[in-house]
Amino acid sequence: MLKPEVLEALSAIVGRERCKTSKEDLLTYGYDACIYEYLPDVVIFPKSTRETADIMKTALAHQVFVTPRGAGSGLGAESLAKQGGIVICFSMMNRILEINRANRYAVVEPGVVIADLQKAVEGVGLFYPPDPGSAAVATMGGAVAMNAGGMRGVKYGVTRDYLLGLEMVLPSGEVMTTGTVTAKDVTGYDLTRLICGSEGTLALVTRITVRLLPRPKAKRTLQAVYDSIDRAGDTVSRIIEAGIIPATLELMDRMVIKALEESAHLGLPLDAEAILLIDVDGDPETVERQAALVAEFCKSQGAREVRVSSSEKENEQLWVARRSAFGAVARLRPSCLIEDATVPVSVLTATIKKVKEICARNQVQVAVLAHAGDGNLHPLMLFDQRNREELERVEKSMDEIVDYALSVGGTLSGEHGIGITKAKYLPKQLSPTSLRIMRAIKRTFDPQGILNPGSFLEKTQGNN
Amino acid sequence: MSNFLNIMIPEELKEQVHNCIRCGLCMSTCPVYKQLFFEGASPRGKIQLIKKVLEGKLEPSANFARLLGTCLLCETCTVTCPSGVQLDRLMKAMRAELLSRFSLPWEKRTLFNLLSGSRLLPFCMFWGRTLENPLRFLLPSQGRVGTIPFSKLPRLNARPLISQYPEVVRPDGARVGRVLYFVGCATNYLSENVGRSVIAILSRLGVEVIIPRGQMCCGFPICLAGARKAALKNIRRNLQVFDPTTVDAVIVDCATCGAALKEEYPRVLEEMGEGKAAEAARRLGQKVLDISQYLSRFDLGKNLRPVESRVTYHDPCHLLRTQKVKEEPRSLLKGIPGLEFVEMEGADLCCGGGGTFQVEHPEVAAGITANKIQAILETRADLVATGCPGCRLQIHGNLKDDRIRVVHPVELLALALS
Repeated sequence: MLKPEVLEALSAIVGRERCKTSKEDLLTYGYDACIYEYLPDVVIFPKSTRETADIMKTALAHQVFVTPRGAGSGLGAESLAKQGGIVICFSMMNRILEINRANRYAVVEPGVVIADLQKAVEGVGLFYPPDPGSAAVATMGGAVAMNAGGMRGVKYGVTRDYLLGLEMVLPSGEVMTTGTVTAKDVTGYDLTRLICGSEGTLALVTRITVRLLPRPKAKRTLQAVYDSIDRAGDTVSRIIEAGIIPATLELMDRMVIKALEESAHLGLPLDAEAILLIDVDGDPETVERQAALVAEFCKSQGAREVRVSSSEKENEQLWVARRSAFGAVARLRPSCLIEDATVPVSVLTATIKKVKEICARNQVQVAVLAHAGDGNLHPLMLFDQRNREELERVEKSMDEIVDYALSVGGTLSGEHGIGITKAKYLPKQLSPTSLRIMRAIKRTFDPQGILNPGSFLEKTQGNN
Repeated sequence: MSNFLNIMIPEELKEQVHNCIRCGLCMSTCPVYKQLFFEGASPRGKIQLIKKVLEGKLEPSANFARLLGTCLLCETCTVTCPSGVQLDRLMKAMRAELLSRFSLPWEKRTLFNLLSGSRLLPFCMFWGRTLENPLRFLLPSQGRVGTIPFSKLPRLNARPLISQYPEVVRPDGARVGRVLYFVGCATNYLSENVGRSVIAILSRLGVEVIIPRGQMCCGFPICLAGARKAALKNIRRNLQVFDPTTVDAVIVDCATCGAALKEEYPRVLEEMGEGKAAEAARRLGQKVLDISQYLSRFDLGKNLRPVESRVTYHDPCHLLRTQKVKEEPRSLLKGIPGLEFVEMEGADLCCGGGGTFQVEHPEVAAGITANKIQAILETRADLVATGCPGCRLQIHGNLKDDRIRVVHPVELLALALS
């Protein structure tokens, strides 16, 4: 519980309407898209950098924890108040401040929804490539905090690759800016990239400058249907090996196909073992040539059917369905935990096989979805979290998947972050030296340890 | 609290709260969330709170009731939800439960009393005939009901539509069909031209129109606020006077009445344990058609005179999402010669009316409606057609440009047929 004078001070900064303390409001800020819940003591909605700084100063003065949050679509409790205190939610600080065509950049506040930025810049012929599955709901601030990836990573990279600069409020309440609007910038340490992916543990991002590209003139979506998931996986590594760079390269297995068909009725083949969903984009001639090449490749690798979309609308329908995959599989069972271990693309097929084997052995129902072109797997483990014993089997499967991914040169998380779900694995991938440096960085930014406590680094404290 | 654990929500619906994995996609399409930007206003937030109540972890407080009230029941979240959670049904059922604990505000009670009882008719006739002009004169010119200025409120029909016609309206020529006409409060008391258009078109086409006496408000507005018991009388009476066995169809010209007769009657009766009545409601529901659906059976083309205008169409939530009627009204409009049809941006987005929502939450509604008005203005249409009286009221009430007329599609069709 917060002291009344703290609440008083906070509501003096933003007004009562944007300082919420009712039980209902706290409950609705106790979750994200993961299965864990932690209640904050107050939820506060700043609308400016000034207000954010004042909130932070108040929190520091009273030694109250602060946890930043966007839309709450994260998958690892990164934006939950794991030790209570203030949730500072940026959903109302959501203006697109500038779209600069001459220098191809945009400046946004953290609460801007990613899809809204994409739409706005596409309206003037520009392109913001990072495209997480949750783009329709997730915010830019969250994307920066988590270094969000997504569907177009294989060709265009991730959030980190599009950041030019940030403005942030430090745990001290000071405002710091990083980066420039120029394409090149080697002045000092790259603090922009340090903040990106720091899971809201170093600073509160209040303004984001992103690099934009010219909008690709044409796009084609291909859907390749396979009777064998191995053949689909092999196709992916072969395409990458052959030097073709599609804009997206997604794989879904039978269970995902079934769930999507039930929710969206698109006429997907229910008897297929796997589908690859592939986008190629660029100049019209290149796109035509690449689409044909990719189709040929899929067929030669054993696709039983390759459908090439004929219109923008058809593309859109397929992608809308794909974006709802996470929710759609929840039709099958009440709870769903998404793994996102990522492996070198050449061992994709073997990893998928291993994941299925691990889950079968632990009697865990699993659906496999993957940003396959990146080797970024998303095994969706289905269960009922009310069943304690079943949850344990899910956690055991997760342990084994992580071990396997690391053993083949992969990483704990491709894009969802560590949060609390994977914190215990951190020492398996990072050396004591890395962890020591990371902790030192955290202390430099946040000597009092009041920003997003209970996050990944602290969870592993005992090990080093 | 314990009595809330035996909430009268069907088991299958209760189980669905566990299927919400909080992906948040519903927030990306919820018009209310996109105005308020906090979880309690979002579908995901409401479902999670309902879950807590069902688990006995949250007392259904006045604040909980207030949050459930910040919902247009436009059903966009239900259509969006990939996990198949029927959010609107859960919220409706929970509202009904809450009503047993928290009573409605007096304005709503009065309105529902009128709608559910037999007092509405004489009241409206008295108001319409005698008091209309003096009362209107007394209203301050600057006042508003919700977002709608007094000057833009509709006038009452001088006489209810039902008393302007015999119970059976015989067609002009040879009879090719026979329908029962569910008139609905809006047409009966406020927009007689819609009813006249329906009857004129059907007569012209050779369809006999039966307007059952004793029909009452469909009860949907009462149900949506949670007052299901009050609505039961209306539902029973309507089931009694609408015997679908001897007609081709039961037609409605109001999106909400159509949604009630097709979907809400069987569900609500089932959920209230009225199995037998639910069966009768299902039989009736199968015969119910929106007027645009019924008219799409006819080839109207050759009889139509040109209407030189530019029209755009707004999808009412209860027509598009509840009844899945999207193409028929558009085809009717596109079939009228001379009438240029322009699709507006976001035609399927709620107009912000939401029954009494715009009165209770005018500041939220204002933002939603402003987007709709903007989309309409961008089409440069001089007519907006839509098959829901609530939407017509909301759009007309917020259009500052009086040159743009808001109509029911049948009004344009009747004009073209005359």
